[in-house]
Amino acid sequence: MEHHASALAVFLTQLLGLARHPWGTFAHGEPLSLLERWDHLFAAVLAALVTMFVVYLVRRKMAVIPGPLQQVAELIVNFLREMLSDNIAHHSERYLPLVGTMAFFVFLNNFFGLIPGMPSGTGNWNVTLACALVVFGYYNFHGMREQGFVKYWAHFAGPIWWLAPLMFPLEILGLLSRILSHSLRLFGNIAGEHVVAGIFFGLMPLFLPLPMMFMGLFFGLIQTFVFLMLTVIYISGAVAHEH
Amino acid sequence: MKKFLFTAFLFTVAVAAFAQGAPEAANASFFSGKFLAHLSLAIAAAGCGLGQGKAVVAACEGVARNPQAAGNIRTTMIIGLALIEALVIYVLVAAFAIK
Repeated sequence: MEHHASALAVFLTQLLGLARHPWGTFAHGEPLSLLERWDHLFAAVLAALVTMFVVYLVRRKMAVIPGPLQQVAELIVNFLREMLSDNIAHHSERYLPLVGTMAFFVFLNNFFGLIPGMPSGTGNWNVTLACALVVFGYYNFHGMREQGFVKYWAHFAGPIWWLAPLMFPLEILGLLSRILSHSLRLFGNIAGEHVVAGIFFGLMPLFLPLPMMFMGLFFGLIQTFVFLMLTVIYISGAVAHEH
Repeated sequence: MKKFLFTAFLFTVAVAAFAQGAPEAANASFFSGKFLAHLSLAIAAAGCGLGQGKAVVAACEGVARNPQAAGNIRTTMIIGLALIEALVIYVLVAAFAIK
């Protein structure tokens, strides 16, 4: 896909007077500033900052009788906590920080793309691949910590010892392809939705993209949920004890 | 059947004529990579629609028989739909990759 700089990145480049460089093979040699070339990273950092700010606001005034902001935060945290305890048998609280961080990060990045002129982080494969790699490293680490190094990798070999030479490479392949499917699902959904909304915008800019953007609201939420659900399922598969 | 074949023939001729009418698009032949990518996306979407339809039918029947299990069924259905949809998403990414 050719790279289109978002309107916000173009505006900020002009406002701050950033230098534009021709990026060679990246974007057909057109001159782009650092901010325009990597505006998905800009969106990702912005999502992280917004998350931290919101959490700071919630944490600053914790009350026994919660205000509106705290109620919404408690709703989200309780939802995630229930999702974890439904799927993971022991110590499910331990995995709440990563899952909650992913929830806010992916959700905000999905929704930044729907604001006209804003760049979207998850509409670029680099961001979703980073998320998937973090999750991959996380559940492998916790699997090894929970079960022990040898036992964790031995359970990929399957229960029958003479099938192990066949099973082990296949299971490792399946494990590695999870990174690809986990990241491409989110990226493809968000990027595809943007492309369709863009085509509708090209047909008639005034009202035609609106239905697609409503679909984008819905799909952004659903894809966040699916991303989190798969994260939880991968973690629960890695840390499960076979009694 | 005859009518369908005739329509398909007419459509093919029309597409070919359209491709001929745009000489500046050198890559717009019938079997260019881009055309095949879009065609494969259509085929994948058709299969995905059938599969997701079956999944949703089963989930609706389950909820109608046992409304108390709606939450669990919904979660399972959404995961299943996401896994089915992933196959189309791969084709979509491949269609993006082919210029």
